[in-house]
Amino acid sequence: MLIELKDVNKTYNNGQPLHVLKGIDLSIDEGEFVSIMGASGSGKSTLLNILGILDNYDTGEYWLDGRLIKDLSERQAADYRNRMIGFIFQSFNLIGFKTAVENVELPLFYQGVSRHKRHMIAMEYLERLGLKDWSTHYPNEMSGGQKQRVAIARALITHPRIILADEPTGALDSKTSVEVMDLLGQLNREEKVTLIVVTHESGVANCTDKIIHIKDGVIGEVEMNAQHNASAFGTSTIMK
Amino acid sequence: MRDVFVEIWESVRRNKLRTCLTGFAVAWGIFMLIVLLGAGNGIMNMAQGNMEGLNVHSMEVYGSTTSKPYGGFKQGRRIELDESDIRLTAGPAFTDHIDEVTAILSQSGFKMTYGKRYFDVGMTGVYPDYAGQNQMQILAGRFVNKSDIDNLRKVIVITHMQARNFLGGKENYDSLIGQRVKIGNLSFKIVGVRHAAENENDSELYIPYTTLRGIFAKSNKIDMLSFTFHGLETEEDNEAFEKEYRQIMNRYHGAAPDDERAIWIFNNFTMNMQMDKGRHILEVFLWVIGIFTLLSGIVGVSNIMLITVKERTHEFGIRKAIGAGPWSVMKLIIAESVSITAFFGYIGMVLGMIACEVLDSTVGSNPIEVLGESITIMQDPSVGLNVAVEATLLLIIAGTLAGLIPASKAAKVKPIEALRAE
Repeated sequence: MLIELKDVNKTYNNGQPLHVLKGIDLSIDEGEFVSIMGASGSGKSTLLNILGILDNYDTGEYWLDGRLIKDLSERQAADYRNRMIGFIFQSFNLIGFKTAVENVELPLFYQGVSRHKRHMIAMEYLERLGLKDWSTHYPNEMSGGQKQRVAIARALITHPRIILADEPTGALDSKTSVEVMDLLGQLNREEKVTLIVVTHESGVANCTDKIIHIKDGVIGEVEMNAQHNASAFGTSTIMK
Repeated sequence: MRDVFVEIWESVRRNKLRTCLTGFAVAWGIFMLIVLLGAGNGIMNMAQGNMEGLNVHSMEVYGSTTSKPYGGFKQGRRIELDESDIRLTAGPAFTDHIDEVTAILSQSGFKMTYGKRYFDVGMTGVYPDYAGQNQMQILAGRFVNKSDIDNLRKVIVITHMQARNFLGGKENYDSLIGQRVKIGNLSFKIVGVRHAAENENDSELYIPYTTLRGIFAKSNKIDMLSFTFHGLETEEDNEAFEKEYRQIMNRYHGAAPDDERAIWIFNNFTMNMQMDKGRHILEVFLWVIGIFTLLSGIVGVSNIMLITVKERTHEFGIRKAIGAGPWSVMKLIIAESVSITAFFGYIGMVLGMIACEVLDSTVGSNPIEVLGESITIMQDPSVGLNVAVEATLLLIIAGTLAGLIPASKAAKVKPIEALRAE
């Protein structure tokens, strides 16, 4: 198993203690295309933070690629994030004063890759995502779909073990959303990238092969969805 | 390294105005520091002017008046040095420290004639060291040398005012070298022309000690003896030595060994030391003022960096999410802070040095008239390369300090920030 969560609990202590994750057991295998679905407040964002080593959990175990992710130092956590996890965010999170190619390069910069080499690799990825001509453009000169593709290139560049997408279509119109989800599906099929999409949209979840429902901090139903017909809302579109 | 500078440039470029305003405060601080130190140096150079070039490891000894009754004598007895004191000083009692002993002897009431012109003058018999010890400026020819001493030559060093008079107002002093003047009925060869302070009544002629002693002296009295010494590097050493020297000299002259007035010792070395101490205190004082001026600039930089960190919180969150460690984010802020401080500080430093030059060409070279006397307030007001290096180090340290708090704030940004919508 690439990812294994055993009885993971997380409580926020802001005044009133809030038990957000109540014993999550979850395993995801290499090459899977999974969505984690839940309403807001269900704990899916917290789960994503823990999966992405952005936040700590209180009890339980989180194994990523055979390594126990627990009580890491900040530096170590940063290093694991850099090498094992690629992030795709709802609001793209590109750095505004850097060009597309500089944004894509950034994870390699933190790996200490030389300027010349990382520029070459970044150009390669931009080309694969059809953005070669946009490499010297700044994010505010690009459309939402283009920005998200730059972000995907940035997530892919380090060959991470998993890619975590947090509402990847949340800021996109439905046509672009379909394109982005198709792109993710394609990456999963052709490059065997392990993808975890966190969403509250059933249409988005339907694009994935496995839907994990989370509700009130516990894993509910796990739906196998190889045929992409899980949702009542359309098999061929993403409802907004 | 290049990447860091690219990042800094990107950040600074976005905030040109506020960076420049903050930078101005830093530049002003370092400008003040440099000007203060330069002016301080100028004043100290002026005060120390007389001490310059002086053979600092030397003491001068004069006879004086006893302040204590001793050995049957009443107090108030005049102690006079004579040639036996030279032998005593150069003798076995002090060989540990004393190198060379010389003396001077003055006599007045001579008439110097050159052609039809004449002066009433006094003559001082000296050893060659005397010129160096008294920072004498030789305008033409040379001073008394060792061979003059050994051969009791009748050679003489005159002042430039006498020379000018001899030349009928002209200043081609070289033409006088080798000419002869008459003193009494003896002929002396002019070997040098020295500069004399015009406002003081300085018309002393210098001839070899041995010549004066051999020809004119009626006794073996000397006016002053001076000696060079070694191995006394601290003030305590010098005091101990002076005490011991005084005891032996006092006993030799029949004065109380602990009488501090019987002979008068002028120690050039400790004198110089005290001057240095004074200079050091002044310098520390000026540095403190300068640094406090600079401090307001540094606080400004720190403040700006805090705002920058606040503005870039989301960006730092993204950077951390994709793998930036805390140190790499800290480095970014500290490097930016140091760059701003160093860049503007350097501008301030250069301007400060230009200001010192301006000071030199105005106040430094124009003596002002005070009560009929011309006084130069400053001499060569400038800072050395060492101050420039120290100021650069100071800037780097200051920049680091200014960046430290903002940088630690930046390092504490949680990567979850990246997930928050802007």
